Amino acid sequence: MHVIEVNNLTKTYGSARGITDLSFQVEQGEIFGFIGPNGAGKSTTIRTLLGLIYPTSGSAKIFGKDCIQDGPAIKKEIGYLPSEVFYYDNMKVKDLLQYSASFYKKDCRKRIAELAAIMDLDLNKKIDDLSLGNKKKVGIVQGLLHEPKLIILDEPTSGLDPLMQQRFFELLEAENKRGATILFSSHILSEVQRLCDRVAIIKEGKLIQLEKISTLKENNYKRFKLETKEPVSSNDFQMSGVNELKVEGTTVSFLYRGNINAMMSKIAAVDLANILVEEPDLEEIFMHYYEKED
Amino acid sequence: MNMVLHELRAYRKSTLIWMCTLVALVVLLLSMFPTFAKDAEQFKSMLRTMPEAVLKAVGVQIETITSILGFYAYVFMYISLCGAIQAMNLGTSILSKEIREKTADFLLTKPVTRTAIVSAKLIAAFISLLMTNIVYLAAAVIMALVVKNGDFEMSKLVLISVTLLFIQLIFLSLGFFVSVLVLKIKSVLPISLGTVFAFFIIGMLGATSGDEAIRYFTPFKYFDPAYIMQHASYEGAFLWLGMGIVVVAIVMSYLVYRKRDIHAV
Repeated sequence: MHVIEVNNLTKTYGSARGITDLSFQVEQGEIFGFIGPNGAGKSTTIRTLLGLIYPTSGSAKIFGKDCIQDGPAIKKEIGYLPSEVFYYDNMKVKDLLQYSASFYKKDCRKRIAELAAIMDLDLNKKIDDLSLGNKKKVGIVQGLLHEPKLIILDEPTSGLDPLMQQRFFELLEAENKRGATILFSSHILSEVQRLCDRVAIIKEGKLIQLEKISTLKENNYKRFKLETKEPVSSNDFQMSGVNELKVEGTTVSFLYRGNINAMMSKIAAVDLANILVEEPDLEEIFMHYYEKED
Repeated sequence: MNMVLHELRAYRKSTLIWMCTLVALVVLLLSMFPTFAKDAEQFKSMLRTMPEAVLKAVGVQIETITSILGFYAYVFMYISLCGAIQAMNLGTSILSKEIREKTADFLLTKPVTRTAIVSAKLIAAFISLLMTNIVYLAAAVIMALVVKNGDFEMSKLVLISVTLLFIQLIFLSLGFFVSVLVLKIKSVLPISLGTVFAFFIIGMLGATSGDEAIRYFTPFKYFDPAYIMQHASYEGAFLWLGMGIVVVAIVMSYLVYRKRDIHAV
């Protein structure tokens, strides 16, 4: 069964923002990455799934039920963590979590205590007094306290320090082992690569690519920047898999996809002053997919 | 139920403040009564020297003002103004504060229908207005008994006082409807004060010009204390009109809010 099924979903509002004819499925038990630059339509999609906004056309189903028609029933099994967390300021963390738990007909006290311990969250503080990162932790506990079957995360890591980010990812992996399906939206590729099984790449409201992370990794581009001692000609690096080759005197830069050994042996033949091999940033990946579209 | 309790807790402070304000207002205004009543004839003749239009605008009826009921009917105009501000504030803020404080996402991603959210908020608002009215009524009755200069019909005083709740309910539903139409309200006070004073001034103008038709356009004139004192009942047409406004505004609010997009902030 598909946990999430999005069919030709379109939402237009304002002028530029929105999504167009979006279709994808998320399978039971997978961690599904949803990646794209800011304003690509990630939040719009998520907000439609959650029934916060209504689609212009098309439909979305969660657990086989319509997002709009069966909203309340579906939401019993959804945990949602928004990108920016805001809660009733004059409440204590404990009371807010209790209030959140009161919407689900189960006893969540034990789980709240567990989660707070994992995330190192002080339950007796007022939400007012919390830092951004700590508010985020409240959001995480709030989203997971009812042991949801589907966890929807909208750019969840902003504001968390690396240690907490690590614990949070471990927590998500544990939830996933328990059987939870996760929809993880982000604009940070490394997060998605670390966690997700499959990833949908979205840009300007359209689905550009839907791939397994493993495939994406195999196809992964590397950005090479070389400084040579002697000027080289561009012919030296013309081989299959090389893109965007730029040679200016002694500096060479290009994107490479393919067998890394072939490239390394080629480079070994050159007298190097310096070399830099890096993951292309997201922008470049998007450029790549974008160009492929044209 | 959890939502109603949460909302009540959220309004607790402001409800208490408004309760105190209304009680203080009725205590202050009624405590002036003995002074007026002592020199009743002198006071009346002084009032007669004032222009007719002014007297009508501020709601003074010379014949009755030196009786406790008449005096209460007069000061009640200002109490209802104060109460209307409370109700309109409450109505305008109960939904818009979720947007303003960016907590709408929290509530709307819980397994509840929007209808249930609206209902919970309205019930909580109604309860807090009801409590305000109970406390106010008690204060008004006690104060009237303290300062009275003769016997008066308690039932009429209660009838007049209860119109505070009616007026508040009308403004509550108006404010609520406004907040559903314009979800992104940056600041509640200008809207609520503006609306309430606009209606209040319409009422004053209507009273001055003596134009009966204007009464239909301002909730402040739906429940005429003079009529209540004479007949010990409300005017049916206006009672229905008030109820009609409340029902229409609330039903419309439900319909609009159910279909509304809640945008990210």
